[in-house]
Amino acid sequence: MIAFGDPFGLFVLLAAPSAAAVLALIPYPAVSQAVARAGAVLAFAAAAVLLATGATGRWGAYLGLDPLSEVFLLMVTGVYATSIFYSRGYLEHVARPFLTPQVYYALLSAFAFSMIAVLVVTDLGLMWIGVEATTVASALLIVLERRPSSVEAAWRYTLVASAGLTIALFALLLLYVSTGTLDALQLAANPPAVTLPVEMAVALALVGYGTKVGLFPMHSWLPDAHSEAPSPVSAMFSGVLLPTALYAFLRVYRVLPSPAPAVITDLLLAFGIATALVAAFLIQRQRSFKRLLAYSSMEVMGLAVIGIAIGGVALYGALILLVAHAFAKSAAFYCGGNVLRTTGTNRIDEIRNLRETMPATGLAWVVSAAAVTGAPPFGTFLGELLIVAGALAAGLVWVAAVVVVAILVAFLGVNSQIGRMVFGEPLVPPRPVATDSESGWGFAYLNLGVALAIGVAALPYLSPALRGAAVFLGGSLP
Amino acid sequence: MDGSAEVVALVGVGILLTALYLQSESFVDPLIRGIAVQSLLLAVLLGWLAWTTQSVDLAILAGLAVAVRAGLIPYVLRRQIRAFRWRMRELHAAHRVTGHALAAVALAIIAWFVFQQTLASIFPQPGAALPFVLLVEGLLMLATRSNTIVQVIGYLEEENAVVYAGALFAQGFPLFVEVVVFLDVLGVVLVAVILSIQRDVTGTLEEAALEELAG
Repeated sequence: MIAFGDPFGLFVLLAAPSAAAVLALIPYPAVSQAVARAGAVLAFAAAAVLLATGATGRWGAYLGLDPLSEVFLLMVTGVYATSIFYSRGYLEHVARPFLTPQVYYALLSAFAFSMIAVLVVTDLGLMWIGVEATTVASALLIVLERRPSSVEAAWRYTLVASAGLTIALFALLLLYVSTGTLDALQLAANPPAVTLPVEMAVALALVGYGTKVGLFPMHSWLPDAHSEAPSPVSAMFSGVLLPTALYAFLRVYRVLPSPAPAVITDLLLAFGIATALVAAFLIQRQRSFKRLLAYSSMEVMGLAVIGIAIGGVALYGALILLVAHAFAKSAAFYCGGNVLRTTGTNRIDEIRNLRETMPATGLAWVVSAAAVTGAPPFGTFLGELLIVAGALAAGLVWVAAVVVVAILVAFLGVNSQIGRMVFGEPLVPPRPVATDSESGWGFAYLNLGVALAIGVAALPYLSPALRGAAVFLGGSLP
Repeated sequence: MDGSAEVVALVGVGILLTALYLQSESFVDPLIRGIAVQSLLLAVLLGWLAWTTQSVDLAILAGLAVAVRAGLIPYVLRRQIRAFRWRMRELHAAHRVTGHALAAVALAIIAWFVFQQTLASIFPQPGAALPFVLLVEGLLMLATRSNTIVQVIGYLEEENAVVYAGALFAQGFPLFVEVVVFLDVLGVVLVAVILSIQRDVTGTLEEAALEELAG
């Protein structure tokens, strides 16, 4: 149950980023930045304390915590904090920013607040509002660098994500009519009878929220938005926005009894496999490294959905994968941001020899590429291993085979492309590079350290919450 | 069918007809006026339901439909194209109007059929399938049009579909007014901010003119 001090933790979680979103508009850039940083650090500290104390339960009519939300909160606030800190160096190199630093920090804080809100509300309608609010808060951030392609990306993102969320809202209407409530905890505790409208609601929620998760074929906004947004925002998109949208779906999915009806798990498997395979093969033909990273995120989301469909150990693996990927992918985007600032391009063919021109960033980039694609001993490796093991244990040998193929294809694609940029022979003539733009790589190493720790050391700390989350979602763990 | 149900069904058919009209139009100004008419019809329906059920929420939703989707957003959209209002046309769609219209009718029939097969027993209200059909029509518009103003119209049509569904068979849905307010805010953000930025940065409203994002 939620103990005496926990409402304060929840209060800090919600108040810190929302206050930062307002106060960051103060017309002094240094103060604005300090306020945004303070808000992010406070939110992360609150999430860490809530996870460490294992506070679960309901607070009031609309707020609540359980292991699933606590794990996601740590992930969101962690990446939010490092992205806020990384932003300073990045903003200094944007030539004609569309937003002032104050508005940028305010929107980034509002974006984080909306994701945190999704994770702490218990009402599925409020959760939907939170997911929609992420679109409103983040759309303008994509346009920061004032390129025509950024405008197109923002437009496509807003429209496609909103169209998907409208379908999700239809799903909630169906669910409400069928069950008479939208209280996620109540529905999870007393699952309604599995009727056709309930199944349709879950299926529509998969399509609706799946649009925001980046599931194939509703993914068209994802590579554009991730590649056109400034790198700290891309890090939050890839690392935590996609899992947050998946979390919203999981809350609807949880209204089904365990094991879920075959029609729903088959649907999840179909979307997951299609997404992982399509993304893995699209990775091979990318010319922009930011799009490369975006498709890599899409592949990971596909793998996570496969793990959720299988349940049990695979579901546990999917949760580990999501958390470790969030930190590793944000590290990769920070490195990409440094490279973009230094070379002025995101074209893979125009970047070589980073090991000499940007040694600190180059090394972090190679390591983060390995981390996001599931190399041992990172947490992503553990997560993917458990998904494959779960598929085999469930007798789904062909699914395990498909997962292995997707993992290998994505691994080769991402690592070979980033390896070429870091270790490739210098271009002749060499491309002119900006100097003094290799700042912020410390945050990449920090997040890589977290992804590594999840794989080798931190699991005992995270495991109770992760196991609790997996069991809550319907898994039975050995 | 009692008198009240007949009013709901009649207005619903009117809304469906505007949806089909929007699919077969390629000039932008009539499209803007079309979505305003659709929103007005929805407001009439919401107002009628509010009056018959004494629901304050439905009355607020009716007011929002008039103020935002029939008034403010169409006004802003028309201002966006004021310099070339009478000749602005989506050329991409102009060559395919017949195809769009046929696809719209076919999709409407399929959506109706699917609804009857799956959900009709739970939602016996007359015209309960219409919001479902309207949602599909909005998605079709978003998927087949490239002009950003027309895509906004597709988005508004989707929003109308959700409000229509909520009013018809999910009365009591918690926070529904707040949800619709949020959708309206997003609509206004779409129109007022991103459209303006797009004009400033690219000088065009044709999404198809932007071809830098590939792969």
